Amino acid sequence: MGLKILLVDDEQEFVETLSERLQMRDMDSHAVFDGKTALAQVQSHPPQVLIIDLKMPGMDGIQVLQQVKQTHPFIQVIVLTGHGSEQDRKTCMDLGAYAYFQKPVDIDQLHTAIRQSLEKTLTDPRDSMGFDRPVDKGFYQP
Amino acid sequence: MTPLQRLKPAFWNLPDDPGNHSGLNLKRKWKLIVLLTSILALSPLIIMTLVDFSLTRRTIETESNTRMLSSLQTLAGIMAASLAENPSTACAEVLWQDAFHQLNTGRHNDLFLIDAAGDLVTPSFHYGRDPGLNALDPRLLTQTDGILDLQTPDGTAVLAGYAKITDTPLTLVQLRPADWLKDLWLKPRLKLLWFLCVSIVLIVLSIMGMATYLVNRIHVTERRRIEALHHEEHANRLASIGRLASGVAHEINNPLDIINQKTGLIVDLLTLKKQTRPDPRVLPLAKDVLDAVKRCGTITRQLLDFARHMEPSTEPVDIEEVISQVLALVEMDARHRGIAIRVAPIPTVPGFECDRSSLLQIFLNLAENAITAMESKGVLTIDVSIQKTGYVTISVADTGKGISPEELPKIFEPFYTSRSDRWGAGLGLAITYGLIREMGGDITVKSTVGKGTRFVLTLPVKAVRQTASDGSLQLPKSEIPVKTANENNTQGAAHVTKQ
Repeated sequence: MGLKILLVDDEQEFVETLSERLQMRDMDSHAVFDGKTALAQVQSHPPQVLIIDLKMPGMDGIQVLQQVKQTHPFIQVIVLTGHGSEQDRKTCMDLGAYAYFQKPVDIDQLHTAIRQSLEKTLTDPRDSMGFDRPVDKGFYQP
Repeated sequence: MTPLQRLKPAFWNLPDDPGNHSGLNLKRKWKLIVLLTSILALSPLIIMTLVDFSLTRRTIETESNTRMLSSLQTLAGIMAASLAENPSTACAEVLWQDAFHQLNTGRHNDLFLIDAAGDLVTPSFHYGRDPGLNALDPRLLTQTDGILDLQTPDGTAVLAGYAKITDTPLTLVQLRPADWLKDLWLKPRLKLLWFLCVSIVLIVLSIMGMATYLVNRIHVTERRRIEALHHEEHANRLASIGRLASGVAHEINNPLDIINQKTGLIVDLLTLKKQTRPDPRVLPLAKDVLDAVKRCGTITRQLLDFARHMEPSTEPVDIEEVISQVLALVEMDARHRGIAIRVAPIPTVPGFECDRSSLLQIFLNLAENAITAMESKGVLTIDVSIQKTGYVTISVADTGKGISPEELPKIFEPFYTSRSDRWGAGLGLAITYGLIREMGGDITVKSTVGKGTRFVLTLPVKAVRQTASDGSLQLPKSEIPVKTANENNTQGAAHVTKQ
């Protein structure tokens, strides 16, 4: 299991299935169901890629995105929502999201986006915590 | 249209029921204004004229009576002096003749002498030579001087002035026809009366004109207000449809993605893990489900697009896409009515820019219009072409019932509807027209009764929507911009000119 991915969505059925499918694609994905748990998870076990829904009870996706980008600017965030307006897309992209997907999403599309986001991370000289990356990039290859 | 009908203001023929859209009974209002203003303006005039009339009559009567009496008294004085010297009937007759000449008497100015018994001493025009006692008013004999209204034996009303000749039994009597006086004051008054009548007519006419103008203004303002209201309502309705659509789309997207992922998992389990080998049909079935999910996703995305483009903005627009979006909306209706939709191959229009929502609405209105015109069975043809550089020409044709040449000039007017039910506010084509005008475009219509109607709209390639400064939609004025040219009995064409 290479990539650490955190999925956040209040639709449990959906997010668990998606997580399972990503795991089938050799990704270390883990699902949580609300923003608060997601933030706690980010603090304890920072993932490389965070996939969030926008509309969630309690803390919504944009808030999660904002906080994660403040504390962990190098975690790649992919927004996956059923409620996206053009405005939301702009806001998310401005806040530093890597990609924005409208549900229903094609797993291959999502998979490609995750890989591409990681390439972006890999070209960055620092890792997801903002620490300088060891010189040997091969270590991080998925 | 007769000249009288042309004079009629637009509000005159509005239905009288209180439910009409103006909410005001303008005809009654007009009548009330005319009545009140006329009474206010004319009553002082008429009252003053009447007062003046009677005052003048009284003054002239008194004046002429006094004069008549004083001249009679003078004559009687002279006669009395002469008769005192020569008290004889002959002398009286001579004196009477003198006076007769002096007063220039005649049939209308009778002068004679009577004695104490009331018998005539000299001949009279009215009484002849010897009228007898009964004929003369006894008052003539009792009083000395004065003026009396009398009735002569031949039936004319006269004014009798009389003066006793002192120291004799004689009385000098002068008779004037009663209407002689009337002639004196009434004739010049009549001229004034004519003048009065003419000015009354002029005043009433100008009051009517002003009332018509004012009420017409109220009518026009009211119509504008209602048009704006309807436009707003229409826009609001579209916006709420948009909100509803996007809400539904959002809500559907979540469960849709659950189906998507679960089915995807089935596929994954079968393909990636190769765990089980169930019925060989399972995998294609799951893929069918995924295809269906994809189609649903396209629909919800379209709905979201539709809602997103409710705000006016100029952007590059693919006409083909807009047309297919509109057709997707009217397709069901068309299918139910057995209407075929034929879209000619659409050429690519390089650099076509316009307000997408407006274009959508224009096409939607025209398409709905065409489908309504064809109650069942027919063909709706949409054709896009570039006929002159810088302009896109789009024609929407139906094979419906057509529009009669009389109705044709009115179809772009607000509130004009051929549908009697409550559905049509009669604003669809008016709004279409307004939107096209805002884009700097132009729409023409040709129709043959029983065969169909063709709307042809020309839009500039860079159709920047220019909203009126007050934000209201440009609507065609009911009078001018729609020109008609009847081609023959059944075919007519309306052309909306570009200003």
